[in-house]
Amino acid sequence: MVKLVSLISGGIDSPVATYLMISRGVEVVALHMDNRPFTDDKNLDKTLQLVRHLRVLTGSPIKTYIVPHGPNHITFARNCNRHLHCLFCRRMMYRIAERIAEKEGADGILTGESVGQVASQTLQNLTVVNPGVKIPVIRPLIGLDKVEIIEIARRIGTYDISTLPGLCCTIVPKKPSTASRVVDVREEEGKIDIDSLVETSLEGMYVFSPEAL
Amino acid sequence: MYSLLKPCKTSAAYEAIPRERFSLDLDLCEEILKKTCTIVANAGILLIVNDLCEVSVHKDGRLILKTDSGELAGEQAGRIAGWLMGTTAIQKSRDFRSQRGLHRT
Repeated sequence: MVKLVSLISGGIDSPVATYLMISRGVEVVALHMDNRPFTDDKNLDKTLQLVRHLRVLTGSPIKTYIVPHGPNHITFARNCNRHLHCLFCRRMMYRIAERIAEKEGADGILTGESVGQVASQTLQNLTVVNPGVKIPVIRPLIGLDKVEIIEIARRIGTYDISTLPGLCCTIVPKKPSTASRVVDVREEEGKIDIDSLVETSLEGMYVFSPEAL
Repeated sequence: MYSLLKPCKTSAAYEAIPRERFSLDLDLCEEILKKTCTIVANAGILLIVNDLCEVSVHKDGRLILKTDSGELAGEQAGRIAGWLMGTTAIQKSRDFRSQRGLHRT
């Protein structure tokens, strides 16, 4: 059985992507990157509600990892090019997902990304985040537009949970890069100790067993 | 100092917009606010403090107040304004004290 680490937020897209892959017989381990204090507690609550809903809906047990991501944001904001912030964030999420995939014996990473949805999800930016990891990144929503994704979310009952109040990330730059180059991102990342950030993030993680949710 | 207080689009917080354009020296803000608030994080481009509720203080002076109570958000914005007004943490500022209507709601 294929096993994937699903990056799941409290938003609309990632629960839909997760549902679609579970429906294809994929075993999923959920990973939520906790952006507090740049978001609020509601995002974590929503994520846990969504995982619980998906478990009930699909009958598939979902182990859930929560990893603190706020300190990583601070390091990037203080040391690196502001316009590239969302790419540093995404590459860091992938790196941590890859480490959890190793631990869980998973085959790849699952995300709710779709082309053009937000600034960091242009085709050019997606090619910049991919080289951050060596395992496959599966994006079942890549060619869907928002209306199509919402349609599925409504059908599977995740939409009402995803649209509950929750503070969007407050550290997103005003003008995020939409056409970054991997060479620039790597140069900026060279200013900080990425490996150490990954290790520190993993030290702060905690896990919910499927039964706990 | 803050003439407008509007809910964020997510309705999970309130946003206080400065009446006039200015910028904040967040390191100085941290020094001032730590006397009365808990400093949660200083990311250089925004400062997060905790007082009546958690507040993101942005360089351009905007405040994101993490509460769903408009009354609490207004009170908190007023407290922050009171602590910062007249200090050197506010750069390119006019004399806010001379402005009418320092809104607290």
